[in-house]
Amino acid sequence: MSRVLATYNIKGGVGKTSAAVNLSYLAARGGARTLLWDLDPQGASTYLFRIRPKVRGGGRRLVRLKTRADDLIKGTDYLGLDLLPADFSYRHMDLALDGTKRPTARLARVLKPLYRHYDYIFLDCPPSISLVSESVFEAADALLVPIIPATLSSRTFAQLEELVAGGPQVLAFFSMVEVRKSLHREVMAELRARHVTMLGAAIPAADEVERMGVDRSVVAEIAPGGRAALAYEALWWDVKRRLDLGGRR
Amino acid sequence: MASHAHDYLLPARVTLEEAGELLSEHLDLRQGAVSSAERRFYDTFDGLLRAAGLAAAYERGRLSVTDSSSGELRAAAELAEPPERLLAYELPHGPLRGVLEPVVELRALLPLVHLATDVRELGVVDAADKIVVRIVLERPAVIIASGRRIGLAARARLGPVRGYEDELLDVRGTLEAGLGLVEAERTVLDEAVLAAGEQLGGVSSKIDLRLRADQRADAAAAAVLGRLLEVIEANLPGTIADVDSEFLHDFRVAVRRSRAVQRELKGVFPPAQLASHRGELRWLQQVTGPSRDLDVYVLDFDAFRLTVPERFQADLDPLLSVLRGRRLAARRAMVRELRSDRAREAISGWGSFIERLESLPEEGRVDAARPIGELAGERIVKVYRRMLRMGRAIDASSPPEAYHELRKKGKELRYLLELLAAPVFPGEVVKPMVRSLKSLQDVLGRHQDREVQVATLRSLAGEVSALPAGAVALMAMGVLVDWLLQDERAARDEFAAVFTEFASPEQRSLVKDTFR
Ligand SMILES: Nc1ncnc2c1ncn2[C@@H]1O[C@H](COP(=O)(O)OP(=O)(O)OP(=O)(O)O)[C@@H](O)[C@H]1O
Ligand SMILES: [Mg+2]
Repeated sequence: MSRVLATYNIKGGVGKTSAAVNLSYLAARGGARTLLWDLDPQGASTYLFRIRPKVRGGGRRLVRLKTRADDLIKGTDYLGLDLLPADFSYRHMDLALDGTKRPTARLARVLKPLYRHYDYIFLDCPPSISLVSESVFEAADALLVPIIPATLSSRTFAQLEELVAGGPQVLAFFSMVEVRKSLHREVMAELRARHVTMLGAAIPAADEVERMGVDRSVVAEIAPGGRAALAYEALWWDVKRRLDLGGRR
Repeated sequence: MASHAHDYLLPARVTLEEAGELLSEHLDLRQGAVSSAERRFYDTFDGLLRAAGLAAAYERGRLSVTDSSSGELRAAAELAEPPERLLAYELPHGPLRGVLEPVVELRALLPLVHLATDVRELGVVDAADKIVVRIVLERPAVIIASGRRIGLAARARLGPVRGYEDELLDVRGTLEAGLGLVEAERTVLDEAVLAAGEQLGGVSSKIDLRLRADQRADAAAAAVLGRLLEVIEANLPGTIADVDSEFLHDFRVAVRRSRAVQRELKGVFPPAQLASHRGELRWLQQVTGPSRDLDVYVLDFDAFRLTVPERFQADLDPLLSVLRGRRLAARRAMVRELRSDRAREAISGWGSFIERLESLPEEGRVDAARPIGELAGERIVKVYRRMLRMGRAIDASSPPEAYHELRKKGKELRYLLELLAAPVFPGEVVKPMVRSLKSLQDVLGRHQDREVQVATLRSLAGEVSALPAGAVALMAMGVLVDWLLQDERAARDEFAAVFTEFASPEQRSLVKDTFR
């Protein structure tokens, strides 16, 4: 059976895709059978894995169970890590879901036949609040939420917890941290004090994360043993530990 | 889910560097450096993983289980050292245990072969420099016990990448048509096992014999007993070394089956000599009994625990430690006997006796020359009818021994059916009969087990109560005893129904029509 983990934030450009790609890589490297579903029509994770952002029949047929997710999956360059690619048609995913019965249960139904083949399924979500994100909340065991330490990030966090109350675990972590900025330090201290589910590991702002888009690779290959690589390892360790305390589907 | 992996043999004497160069003339490749890896393969004594199409290997701190035909990873876990023996049921809950336990159950994974392999990983890439087919060049060598290495043919293993099946076909075409390579017939693992002089698929305890109905009964008996003796001998070392609980179990089943043949076909043996061999096999059965009973107790302990309310479950710990202690003591006593001259002579003497059986004078061996089909049929009818009489005499007031005796007869019938009838009588009669007998035996077995378990618990009460927390343990044991007695009663209640089926008019006439 799988654990379903979604990288999610209402805000764009906070490090969701970077986290989804690096964490799923680490999961697979640790021996787990891992799948990443790139739900973002922009296809950033698909691009990073050098895979064509195309699913036969498009997103509509997929969420209506007319095509089987199983047939669309591509192996990445990393053993044990597979990708369900993005497709430009995912930009109409809301409409496609809207016409179905119980739209918010849809993504879980698409994934259900895959549970026995994967130990972890990552969902890389586009930034928004929509039927898609509601459907993600229903499918996911946990949300991995990157938070840039800045003014108002505490409010973002609180909003999110309210939004998914009763749903998946919310595991937030700091992203693009610049420890030299006193604002970052202050916000981090404040959030850690107020929210017990804030993870300990934080991802620093680092060149190698930016380089991912140029090299189309993971930080563990771009700068093995570097700050970002170590931070993602710590984060993954932290996430796994929290999951063991929670449930699985 | 994944397609097949394909192993191609590389030309002799080509180095992995050269092979990489050769391939790159025909394919767009991303090439890794040559590295070397040690890989230790594991399987159970009876080759359960291979039979399930799986392979388990330890390499660089990781034990992984892969699908043999696709090469697809099924599960893996970090492990600091290569294990000398691995019991799936002792692993932490997780994917690795989830894959292994249903396949191997109680059997230990044991080192099968040890390979040192030069490896070069290549990836065939597309226009985006994305890997679409994996190629692993391997030059394996088997390391045998003396440390000597036996080189195996180098190969190129094509690993499918999901969703790029067409590209795989293209690459196969290039290797076959362009480079003239041919696919290997066996997996590296099988090749290595053979090179190490071992048997593919491990050592089975199954009795798969071809008998003919018109064969002389003494020849058939010798064939069956000879195979049973192989099983006895094959399982003896693992029994003594306590590798896993199945060695002792299989050893005892083979001894018990041999004894059934001794009894049921006694007319094929010279009576005077048979008596002493019967005595020796009975002795082997007896000296291994307590150890097996305690094995079962310890293995089933988790299930026993669940029969008491959750908050008392931990209270049973002192009982478990007493059982473990007894088990070790029983093992020590058993191992002493099994290592004795008497055991060695019992087994080898029995072996030469059955080897000579057919050439012994026929005087006193009244059934020796009769066709086995006829003799086995006759015995089956006799034992079946005997069981009918015994079973009909059983009612709610019968003592436990009545059930026990019926069960013993039932075992005899089962062995007759499995060992002698299955090869010569129609399967459509034998199989359902074994099935209906099995349901009866399950109920009788449960009844008997509960009876014995209650008695065992009583006999341990004194020792348990002397331990710290022993008094509390006794209370929990009381709850357990209550459950065992309830279950024994339940088995009694079920007896009537399963016996009625076993003794049904249809079954009776089937037995009559088939076996005489
Ligand atoms: N830790 C970091 N250090 C430096 N740059 C980073 C870091 N994390 C992300 N970035 C950069 O920020 C940009 C956005 O990151 P990413 O794509 O991971 O965020 P996202 O939340 O998935 O964005 P979107 O909402 O557009 O999907 C990328 O260019 C990425 O390289
Ligand atoms: Mg993104």
